[in-house]
Amino acid sequence: MNIRNKLLLYLLLFFSAFLLFFPILYAFMISFMSSDEILHGKFFPAAFHLENYLKVFDRLPLLKYLLNSFIVSTSVMIGQLIVCSMAAYAFVFIQFKGRNFIFFLFISTMMIPWEATMIPNFITILKLDWFNTYQGLTFPFFAAAFGTFLLRQNFLTIPKELHEASQIAGLNTVQFFIKVVLPVSKTSLVTLGVYSFLSTWNQYLWPLLVTTNDSVRTVQIGLKQLQTQETATDWGVVMAGVIVVIIPTLLLLFLGQKQLQKGLTQGALK
Amino acid sequence: MAKKLKWFMMFSSFLCLFLLGACSNSASQSKNNENESSNNSSEDNTEESGPVEVSFWHAMSGSGQEAIEDVVNDFNESQDKYIVKPEFQGSYEELLPKFRSVGGTKDAPAIVQTYEIGTKYMIDSGYIEPVQSFIDRDNYDINQLEANILNYYKLDDKLYSMPFNSSTPVLLYNKEAFKEAGLDAENPPKTFNEIKEAAAALTKKNGSNTERFGFSMLTYGWFFEELVATQGGLFVNNDNGRSDQATEATFNSEEGLRVFNLLNDLNNAGHFGNFGTNWDDIRAAFQTGKVAMYMDSSAGVTDTIKNAPFDVGVGFIPYADETERQGVVIGGASLWMSKGISKANQEAAWEFMKYLQTPEAQAKWHVATGYFAINPAAYDEQIVKDKWAESPQLKVTVDQLQATIPSVATQGALISVFPEARQQVVTALENLYQGGNPKEELDKAVEATNKAIEVANKTKK
Amino acid sequence: MKLALHDTPNLSLNPKTSLWKQTQKARVAFLYLLPSILLFSVFIFYPMFKTIYLSFFLTDQQGEAALFVGLDNYQDLLTSQSFHKSIKATLLFVLYTVPAGIIIALFLALMANEKLRGIGFFRVIYSSTMGISVAASSVVWLFLFHPSTGMFNRVLNLFGIAEIQWLLDPDWALFSVSVSTIWLNLGFSFLIILGGLQNIDEHLYESARIDGASYWYQLRRITIPMLSPTLFFIITISLINSFQTFGQIDILTKGGPSESTNLIVYSIYKDAFINYQFGTASAQAVVLFICVLLLTILQFKLGEKKVHYQ
Repeated sequence: MNIRNKLLLYLLLFFSAFLLFFPILYAFMISFMSSDEILHGKFFPAAFHLENYLKVFDRLPLLKYLLNSFIVSTSVMIGQLIVCSMAAYAFVFIQFKGRNFIFFLFISTMMIPWEATMIPNFITILKLDWFNTYQGLTFPFFAAAFGTFLLRQNFLTIPKELHEASQIAGLNTVQFFIKVVLPVSKTSLVTLGVYSFLSTWNQYLWPLLVTTNDSVRTVQIGLKQLQTQETATDWGVVMAGVIVVIIPTLLLLFLGQKQLQKGLTQGALK
Repeated sequence: MAKKLKWFMMFSSFLCLFLLGACSNSASQSKNNENESSNNSSEDNTEESGPVEVSFWHAMSGSGQEAIEDVVNDFNESQDKYIVKPEFQGSYEELLPKFRSVGGTKDAPAIVQTYEIGTKYMIDSGYIEPVQSFIDRDNYDINQLEANILNYYKLDDKLYSMPFNSSTPVLLYNKEAFKEAGLDAENPPKTFNEIKEAAAALTKKNGSNTERFGFSMLTYGWFFEELVATQGGLFVNNDNGRSDQATEATFNSEEGLRVFNLLNDLNNAGHFGNFGTNWDDIRAAFQTGKVAMYMDSSAGVTDTIKNAPFDVGVGFIPYADETERQGVVIGGASLWMSKGISKANQEAAWEFMKYLQTPEAQAKWHVATGYFAINPAAYDEQIVKDKWAESPQLKVTVDQLQATIPSVATQGALISVFPEARQQVVTALENLYQGGNPKEELDKAVEATNKAIEVANKTKK
Repeated sequence: MKLALHDTPNLSLNPKTSLWKQTQKARVAFLYLLPSILLFSVFIFYPMFKTIYLSFFLTDQQGEAALFVGLDNYQDLLTSQSFHKSIKATLLFVLYTVPAGIIIALFLALMANEKLRGIGFFRVIYSSTMGISVAASSVVWLFLFHPSTGMFNRVLNLFGIAEIQWLLDPDWALFSVSVSTIWLNLGFSFLIILGGLQNIDEHLYESARIDGASYWYQLRRITIPMLSPTLFFIITISLINSFQTFGQIDILTKGGPSESTNLIVYSIYKDAFINYQFGTASAQAVVLFICVLLLTILQFKLGEKKVHYQ
């Protein structure tokens, strides 16, 4: 690439990064403002006050919420990785009657509006006595059509020869699954992991429904508690909460990103 | 292998970070859990050791949540027999389905807060114990409470729930803008026509952009209901659903049409600013001088006065020139007691409700949130007097409530499909602002509401 | 159950043994699928059947089926103006968000796939919207769209352009919500497409370069075909997700103004959670399900043929 193109590319990169990151940047700025500054739609705070952050931590057991979110999201991530990779494996490497039908049945679960199933599921959780427990928050999300689909698409790109070779080498299906398929698909597994972690982290309505007190509640419910209806909302405090909540997820993205790259550049199979 | 290890290390260090950070919190959490489980068992046993602990489900977030927690703490410290635990359950809309699922079982919270338009639903649900049974048992004197608030929650002279956070709409205006436009800043417009005249004088245009709108109203069904009620108009038939199950919506009467015509005239003249359905949006518009008069909840007055960089005036909501002022309907929420829970828990709920009515508790609540004091004796408390001296506008909100003439119109409508009716009114208002015909839009909303009422009545036992 | 099956082959005749052998693969597959099937049955299929069942009823205030009405709920939907509006809004929303979202994500991913110094930084920034929740981001967008103090209108003012009622004008609201949705989903699409790009064998490009192929030629002949499984995946997911959009509607517009952003899922939520009409809510859910199902079948039939697998 010549210098001119490189410069142009950097320019484009910076420009799109700015546009894309602007809303987050704006939230970051607001989190330091007094309510008067916010009202007048300023972009830069007059001074970087930490008051809003102090208020957030004072108002809510935010660390506890963060810990809960972390436990719930990690559990869902691990659960999904196990359950989905198993299912995807069956769809790709085992020939059986009705495979396409069952696969489509799986995919069809994605199209069911979650809002419609929420109430029956809520009653199921109530009957299982899983109110205010981590199980209630995580179990319904262990099986995911999305994850199965993602991994299936990736498993499909694994060369057939590899399967044959491993059969000749005397690996049984379980060994082939664990020793060959999973390591080869590391990228997709990380992608799915990051995705399931973040989407669980960002859930609001379900955690609210199946919890009644703070014992296992997650951060998104905390965010909601900062906003009001009939009385005035303190937006600076809300934005401070938003920033606190997205820092761990950005951190995870950063780490996941690095891992993704590493796995790819060093992957023996590529 | 080494790679795997690295990834694992990274991951676990991340985990440690969190564990460390939350160490102190999780310790207190497990203690809480123990408390809870020991208490659950005591709920089942009739002989109790230690205080009775009950849950209080509420939907107050933000500053309201802080205030509610303060009040509850005061109660818990004032005696040692009962402990009330306030638990946030999301917005009113999110709280109700949850209560519906646990209602009538022993998992139900002892006390639950429900918005005013859920009143009919709660009465019909069978999940609640009318507070009247405790009032009768103890011969508790509720006449000390604000009659205009009690009226809303009474049906056939029976009080079903304890009023809690109560508010009404008021007219807020920018005094400086009034002076600038040559209007009397101490004498806000009272009738629809006066609103129109003032709005015309207050509107300031700069080319095609309007720098300041004369009047605005949040696109929310509540304000429409109030403007109808203050003319004496009814929302639904059968005395606003109070003498019998409502079967038809009547808000497309001449009273309703007058409101729509007023808004339509203002909008067509370019004097009306539409700031949507979000409370904070319309307030920001007012506080930045984009609109000179608007209707807000009395609960929002304190903050608006505090935040606005100009003098804020508060007035009564306007009524049509052809009618007399009837007053306002109460809004907000009330507290309900669950049925099917242990006697001891109900007792705890009742004690808490009684505590809430004391002038001291009410005074504190009023000052902290801007909601009305249910017990008017609270207004004589020193902290209220201090607050009123600081912002005398607050008194206007109370005056408006107390000047209300009791009638079925100002008692407010009782219908189970109220949330849907409000959505229909919102859609009608939005269509109106886009140039819809007032009569047609109003009729459409009534028709849709009627259909909802019909469906709901079909499934009632 | 399994033990009993095990015993039979030894005793039985040849055809049965072969049946046992024939189904061996299916049984192994079943074991792999068991966790998913169990969880799906409890948390998705059961509620789905309940939803279908309820769609033939009017429900009482407790949400229980109270009055059988047959297909009335469906008939009402088909004649209801606001449901027509809902469908129109949903389709428009999908049209606004899916193609634009994927094209922008592809563009960003192509840039971020170049090997440059500090590219990791841009990758994190581009995928950052994935880390911000719908609730949090919608609040920020609400601020940007604010009619009087919002950033967008202030920028317009700067250039002397008339202000736009972003969320209050029915002609603009759906567009505004779409913009925030595209932004919100960009991080995820970007990450998936980038992953796909990085999976493409470097040798393909090297040989193309030796042949003197231009950038655009490489893009058309190597990148896009090799990326097709990923693109197929992200298109399917985006389509389905965009049909299911809920959070930003709830916070930004509540379905208004004049029902212009009343997407079907939001309308389902309103009927089920606020109006307690599970019957009509269920009927809408079933209609939505069938629509998305048909669309996906169509996509699989048409799309998967064009997809290039190794």
